[in-house]
Amino acid sequence: MRTVVCVKQVLQLGDEVEFTGDQLDVDPDYLDPALNEWDSFATEEALLLRERLGGEVVVLTCGPKQSEAALRRCLAMGADRAIRIEGAGRDPFSVARALAGVVAVEAPDLVLCGVQSSDAVQAATGTALAELLDLPRAAVVTRLELDAGARTAVVDRELEGGLLDRVEIETPAVLTIQTGINQPRYANLRAIKQAEQVAIDVRAAADGGTPAYAVRRMFVPERGEGAEMIGGGPAEIAGRIAAIVKERLA
Amino acid sequence: MARDPRHDILFEPIKIGPKTMKNRFYQVPHCNGFGSEKPFSQAYFRALKAEGGFAGVATEYCSISPESDDTHRMSARIWDDGDIKNLSLMCDMLHERDALAACELWYGGPHAPNMESRCVGRGPTQIPSDFEYLTYAIESDKDDIRHLQNLYVAAAKRARSAGFDIVYVYGSHSYLPQQFLTPFYNHRTDEYGGPFENRARFWRETIEMVKEAVGDDCAICVRMSTDMFLGEAGTQLKRDCLPFVELVDHLVDVWDINLSGIAEWGEDATPSRFYPQGRALPWQAAVKAISKKPVLGVGRWTNPDMMADAIREGKLDIIATCRPSTSDPFLPRKIDEGRLDDIRECIGCNVCISRWEIGGPPLICTQNATAGEEYRRGWHPERFTKAANADNDVLVVGAGPAGMECAMILGKRGMRRVHLVEVQADMGGSMRWIPELPGLGEWARIVNYRKIQLDKLKNVEFIPSMKLSAKDVAEYGAEIVVVATGSYWATDGLNGASHATIPGADASLAWQATPDQLMGEGKQLDGEHVVVFDNDGYFMGVSISEKLALEGKKVVLMTPMGVVAPYMHFTLEAPNQHRRLHKLGVEIVPYHLPTRIEEGTVVASHVYDEDGHEHSFPADGVVLISQRRSNEALFRELKDGIGLEQLKAEGVGALYRIGDCEAPRLTADAVFSGHRLAREIDAADPSIPLPFKRERRMVDAESVAAERAQYEAIYADVVPA
Repeated sequence: MRTVVCVKQVLQLGDEVEFTGDQLDVDPDYLDPALNEWDSFATEEALLLRERLGGEVVVLTCGPKQSEAALRRCLAMGADRAIRIEGAGRDPFSVARALAGVVAVEAPDLVLCGVQSSDAVQAATGTALAELLDLPRAAVVTRLELDAGARTAVVDRELEGGLLDRVEIETPAVLTIQTGINQPRYANLRAIKQAEQVAIDVRAAADGGTPAYAVRRMFVPERGEGAEMIGGGPAEIAGRIAAIVKERLA
Repeated sequence: MARDPRHDILFEPIKIGPKTMKNRFYQVPHCNGFGSEKPFSQAYFRALKAEGGFAGVATEYCSISPESDDTHRMSARIWDDGDIKNLSLMCDMLHERDALAACELWYGGPHAPNMESRCVGRGPTQIPSDFEYLTYAIESDKDDIRHLQNLYVAAAKRARSAGFDIVYVYGSHSYLPQQFLTPFYNHRTDEYGGPFENRARFWRETIEMVKEAVGDDCAICVRMSTDMFLGEAGTQLKRDCLPFVELVDHLVDVWDINLSGIAEWGEDATPSRFYPQGRALPWQAAVKAISKKPVLGVGRWTNPDMMADAIREGKLDIIATCRPSTSDPFLPRKIDEGRLDDIRECIGCNVCISRWEIGGPPLICTQNATAGEEYRRGWHPERFTKAANADNDVLVVGAGPAGMECAMILGKRGMRRVHLVEVQADMGGSMRWIPELPGLGEWARIVNYRKIQLDKLKNVEFIPSMKLSAKDVAEYGAEIVVVATGSYWATDGLNGASHATIPGADASLAWQATPDQLMGEGKQLDGEHVVVFDNDGYFMGVSISEKLALEGKKVVLMTPMGVVAPYMHFTLEAPNQHRRLHKLGVEIVPYHLPTRIEEGTVVASHVYDEDGHEHSFPADGVVLISQRRSNEALFRELKDGIGLEQLKAEGVGALYRIGDCEAPRLTADAVFSGHRLAREIDAADPSIPLPFKRERRMVDAESVAAERAQYEAIYADVVPA
């Protein structure tokens, strides 16, 4: 049983944000790197499968050298191997194409992704990857049943309004994993140190393909018409909000 | 980040007499245990507040004469040239940091025990102190009054020589000038007693004389209590204080307005248990409404919105703080820089005050472990040196106050990685549930502040819901292990009064419980009658009793001590806590120790009854608050089970324990313990605290020769007997 988990090192915003001089990105001084929260659940799910069914867990990311920290986090949790793909674009299509090339070579029994990344929040990469690999996919998975040797898995998909959709899906498949499906394990310091020593397999992204979008400019939107900025002390602000609510309800 | 424009008003300069304060933050006089006899500790403590942005900083009460000696408590003193020299260090350091220095001239009258000086104080009327036993003063005649006023003038001149910018003629807290103003203390029938003009005469004349002596160079501040809560006999806002403001407003440069007398000065230094911040604001606003001079006032201010509102709404001109400035000396700077979530807010526990009340020891602070350690240990609350062994990883087991503090400071000292591992789902240890006791909500700030700070530290990771065995710890991969597993309340009645367990005490039974079980685990006691046995002596027994009484139980609070919760006298919480318990019908049974506990009954006898007569108290439920024990199982397994040698083989080079796991004490001690270890993690042996600097006179050959010559000269001409 080989599971490939596609993970991302996200860049988290602090209280303040500034853009780079060319207005094409956020100034990295204002960003903290971390393993995407959804991907830690996907990694944990793969590790649980391995504990039950044996095999190996391979974690895969697209990004520069710094993004290896996310892979090492997964290695510390217990992943067996890590692959970093260099030179891909950052939009979901470019990332999916780069991932697809490597996943195809790995020929896994299952591919897990997080539902979305906390920084871009597009929820597109996993689905695009399934399309490129021509694999069945299920999104927003909150439960996974897979027996040894089975050709199908049973998964619960989270729908709107608290509804769940239980479906049978042929494997190999791409599943995008929702938070809360499990409790991701913490790595102890020894595992973190050992993970630092693991060699990470670096591959180059294949050329070509149209990106999903290009960033033209990042900026703080100017204040438009129709917004009322409420000033004053807490009591004044609360009073004004109460008045607006009353007015709208009337 | 930038300052919120709503807080700009706090940073406007203000003129007070001949001086100007650069902003509206001021540290009012408050004790710290250093006086003028530990000048470096005093100066570094106060200067740090100026560094943190306070524009004016005062001494504690500063005695003007050996007739006003508060020993066993520690005041500053400005009796002679030596005191001028010692206090001038504080003034110089404040001036270097662009702050004004204030000196609170104090004369205690009948409240000063004079135990060191052996002098006798003078007061308006010979009635002993309502604050001290066996303390009387001379009933002053007119010569005494003139003598007293001259003491103020001489002390004011010395204060000016020391470099003080603001000089107080201090009356609040029932001290001499306000004793004259108050019928409770002043029963005189001459021109210094009786109608308002007469009762006001002493203070008015004294202010005039001090103003005349130093008013061109120093701002004159008058600190007045606007309600002593003593009924008709006490100072009354409308009858006494507002007329007094009108009488002397032209002489005063700034008013320092507060509440209370001395016997219940918890009405001024309000515990958060009873009062929110800004408690005195209506009284301060009443003075502000009629005075033409700036008004400053305390209110345990930590919320900049409320501070700014108080000024904007014309209720105060200057935000005065004692406790919040100790909890966070950088309060103004953090507001100025918009770093509100970095403010280490005072929790209003009054443990700082308890040390003054005990008499002598330096103040401590639950929130700020560096308070009082600025000089003697060289600790700065906002600055940290990189640890010499920062290339190590640390495992801290237990995220109570000690563990959180230790992990936070280790993080700030740049340790490579710090893992803070907690068995519960959230941080706090016992402080997760203590704030749920009646009135203690603000104590949650202990956890909240640290949680926010820990979250900002990239080298610290919090790992919840993980129970580590000794083997797990050994194999965790940390070079340094700190055990901070806290303590638990004894389940068998073991206590410090009898040094034995209580027969029948067993908290595993459904009808008996410890605070851990009641609050931490949600255990419920059935039935109407509950006996709470308390030999802890601080807040737990009374808080649990109050909680159970609020739930409708009939509570007997039994203690072998003479009073319940004696430590709460030191924190100024006792009077109102007693009022609460009384109102709730809690029956207090002092001097009683249970001899056995049976289902339905606690049998106890009077601790001084030599015949051991027994009394039965109906008890459907029993709460055991007899003592705590360290949760040291993990530490013992690591040290004695696995052993230090084997730990070393696993890569664990150092094992320490901190906080209640070492010995259960005050939360302030637990926080200190965690902080101390982190500050000294790179010392030769971090398990033993480094020595601190002691300010004391050192004997050398020269001083010995001089002292002996002086002594022998006294009797040089006397023929030996």
